[in-house]
Amino acid sequence: MIQLAPHLFNGLTLGLLFALIALGFTLIVGVMEVLNLAHGSLFALGAYIALSMIDPAWAQETALGGWWLGLPITARYGVALAFAPLAVGLAGMLLERCLRPTYDKAPLYGLLLTFGAALVIEELIRLGWGTGEQHLPVPDGINGAFFFGGLIFSKYKIFAAVFALAAIAAVWVFLERTPYGAIIKAGAHDSEMVRALGYDLARLRMFVFGLGAALAGIAGIVMVPIWGLRPHVGIDVVIPAFLIIVLGGVGSFWGAVVASILVGLAVGITGAYASAWSLMSMYLLLIAVVGFRARGLFGRKSALER
Amino acid sequence: MALFEARSIHKRFGARVVLENVNLSFEAGQVSGIMGPNGAGKTTCFHVLTGRYAPDRGEILLEGQSIGGLPPQRIARLGVARSFQVMNLFDDSTVLENILLALPDFRARRHKALTAAFADAALIDEAREVLDQVGLTGREWEPSVSLSYGDRRALEIGVALAARPRILFLDEPTSGLGTEATLNLARLIARLRQRYTIVVIEHDMRFLFRIADRIAVIHWGQVIAEGTPAALSTNKWVQRSALGELV
Amino acid sequence: MLTLSDISPRSTAWVTPQMLVLALVMLSAPLWLGPVGLYQYLGIEIAIWMVYALGFNLLFGYTGLHSFGHGAYLGVGGYAFGLFQHHVGTSLVGGLAAAILASALAGMIVAAAVSHRRGIYFALLTIAFGQVFWFSAIKLHWLTGGEDGLLNIPRPALDLGVVQVTLSDNLSFYYFTVAVLGLCVVALWRIVNSPFGRILQAIRQNEMRASFIGYEVWRFKFAAFVLSAMFAGLAGGLFAMAQESAYPDVMSLHQSGLIVMMVLVGGGLVSFWGPVLGVVLYFVARDVLGALTETWLLWYGLMFVAMVMFRPEGLAGVLHRLRRRPPSAAQTRPVTSGGA
Repeated sequence: MIQLAPHLFNGLTLGLLFALIALGFTLIVGVMEVLNLAHGSLFALGAYIALSMIDPAWAQETALGGWWLGLPITARYGVALAFAPLAVGLAGMLLERCLRPTYDKAPLYGLLLTFGAALVIEELIRLGWGTGEQHLPVPDGINGAFFFGGLIFSKYKIFAAVFALAAIAAVWVFLERTPYGAIIKAGAHDSEMVRALGYDLARLRMFVFGLGAALAGIAGIVMVPIWGLRPHVGIDVVIPAFLIIVLGGVGSFWGAVVASILVGLAVGITGAYASAWSLMSMYLLLIAVVGFRARGLFGRKSALER
Repeated sequence: MALFEARSIHKRFGARVVLENVNLSFEAGQVSGIMGPNGAGKTTCFHVLTGRYAPDRGEILLEGQSIGGLPPQRIARLGVARSFQVMNLFDDSTVLENILLALPDFRARRHKALTAAFADAALIDEAREVLDQVGLTGREWEPSVSLSYGDRRALEIGVALAARPRILFLDEPTSGLGTEATLNLARLIARLRQRYTIVVIEHDMRFLFRIADRIAVIHWGQVIAEGTPAALSTNKWVQRSALGELV
Repeated sequence: MLTLSDISPRSTAWVTPQMLVLALVMLSAPLWLGPVGLYQYLGIEIAIWMVYALGFNLLFGYTGLHSFGHGAYLGVGGYAFGLFQHHVGTSLVGGLAAAILASALAGMIVAAAVSHRRGIYFALLTIAFGQVFWFSAIKLHWLTGGEDGLLNIPRPALDLGVVQVTLSDNLSFYYFTVAVLGLCVVALWRIVNSPFGRILQAIRQNEMRASFIGYEVWRFKFAAFVLSAMFAGLAGGLFAMAQESAYPDVMSLHQSGLIVMMVLVGGGLVSFWGPVLGVVLYFVARDVLGALTETWLLWYGLMFVAMVMFRPEGLAGVLHRLRRRPPSAAQTRPVTSGGA
């Protein structure tokens, strides 16, 4: 069983990071009843924008750029971690604006639009940063290995797990302890009610989409050192996010967190036995849960089944 | 033996018991009514009788044959047709096609993928006959979405009729209709009753009292009264269930 | 909004004027492709993708089931064709039959899982299956050649009994694919105007009512899915012949998404011919626009997004609207000689 420990740890870390992705995703689905197929591209976009913030291509040529590059990596990483998600959030808001003509139509159109947006964002990434594999620099302090109990752990993964935990906690505080967060939380459960209570649904939607996108962006920045930085790194994001909201319930905070950890552990454990197929386990899990007549785990018709 | 019977129907959703020990029977050739205030369970009852929900307990019998728990398409083929309160038409299609799809003779050809659907003149005539019955003569090629509300209601009933059912269930057919259209509907049912056994669920009491031979009253998930309109108008339970003024 | 069920006439004809126009354009293509700056192989790709797109639209537009992972069946068809040539024998008919059968089988497996679903669940399941197929194609190196692809797939000659037609040059292969396309167009036109096809459209419009008037809805969805997979498999087999190899990339989410885009942009949601227009538009964008700029796919994607927002009826819908007189009862009568 000792050999399982690193995989369980990996799985747990993955699960916490999935939670970040899934939280943004579930808020969007809950409040807006839109399945954001561009979530993975926004995830990738976050990482690429962070790359450009930490290591701008043009930096060598200007004095400002030179000064910036001279700063310690930790400072630059911190700035990127704080500001790149904001840029992704803006992209999310723009996407929400594009979605507006589809709100009164069948869900297909929203799906198609976010699908198209995913392609557009991916192409923009390809054109802006190239198609090859890149490397996101991280501070030395969190790079490298860490020995514990006779096993080797990655320092970065510990950082990623702790960071994800902190981000999840921040989201929780926002939803539970701020008035606007309460509206969002209510909206995620019942958007009709929020509208009936007189809140500006248009602004709410824009904000939620922005928030969801920003969360995807942060997840991207933190995950690419593990998953690699390529334009299509976001492809394997939407399916686990969907699986997680099917398992955990649409719009539910704890549902998303718990289901994310379960899915992450499932992937981690599969990794122990058939590492090449570990990501596939998510797809197979989705097929098992949703396909073949299953009504999800809760049997209730959700907004997804319109 | 009654044409259609429901015996000891129980239905619950989660912890809520919606129907409790409901017994109903509908005789062939009659117009039967099911009445009750909203939330009383009559809609659920309707859905159970027509196969949308399976009863938790109890039997549903069509001429003695048990149909409870069968999927809707099986029940439809056995001759149970229903119309819907919220209109459920094929909105991208013409008036004629809505009817055509429901004809048993058309359904018999459902496997045919290499013959033309509209080539059979006999089928089209059959569909036209149904349109005549519901008062939509000559409107065959109009898109169903472009019809007036009253005409769509007629088409809605027409789709159910097209199956030449042994029993026809109409779900709140007067919904959204004005006085004149309601009168037309009553006349339609009077015409149809010569060929069909009809069950109407309504909460427009006047309408039901005018057209039905027998009415069952559902309240609090149970049948609290059953009988002819004349008998019911003096029934104290019916009066008490706050159905408003009587005919 | 215009829809498939009302824009297409209730035709009882086997062949319509539009088919003849398409035949004319496609059969004459070798004469004018060169002079306009294009090339023969493009014609082959377009013809093959038309088969793929028309078959796909049976599921997507007509039945209303939105499959985002359809590339899997194109891929399976291609691999089946190639593996047949390598392990069973060099045979055109055998290879294409294998492609169709294999994709039918793959389609049946997926259809069994998805036919009871619709909407978003359906779409996401098709994505998941698509990814599993794609990933398997990459990992099962011993079978598919992995990322390196299945190579050295021959183009077997067409054996017509009295004569053997060689397909190794692009011109004769082009005419062969156009002939296959012609058969597929005629077959699909018949299918969508048959009782079976009208029921599929009824299911798209109102699944619940369809079941309440006596149809076993999931069986029709299953059949539509498998049929559509078979057309994709046929296209895949043709494609394997065209490039003389088979690769996993057609099964990727990216490529599966492209066929969705092509079909929508062309107007597959409202017209039988939408997919045809969509395929032409895509390849023109790829080759003509692509020659001018590296960013052609970005522009195509942006156009797609704009169309979803403002003109989901696609090119065919826009054209129909421009041509159409105000609607009258006469307009929607069934025509026995084909029509708009």
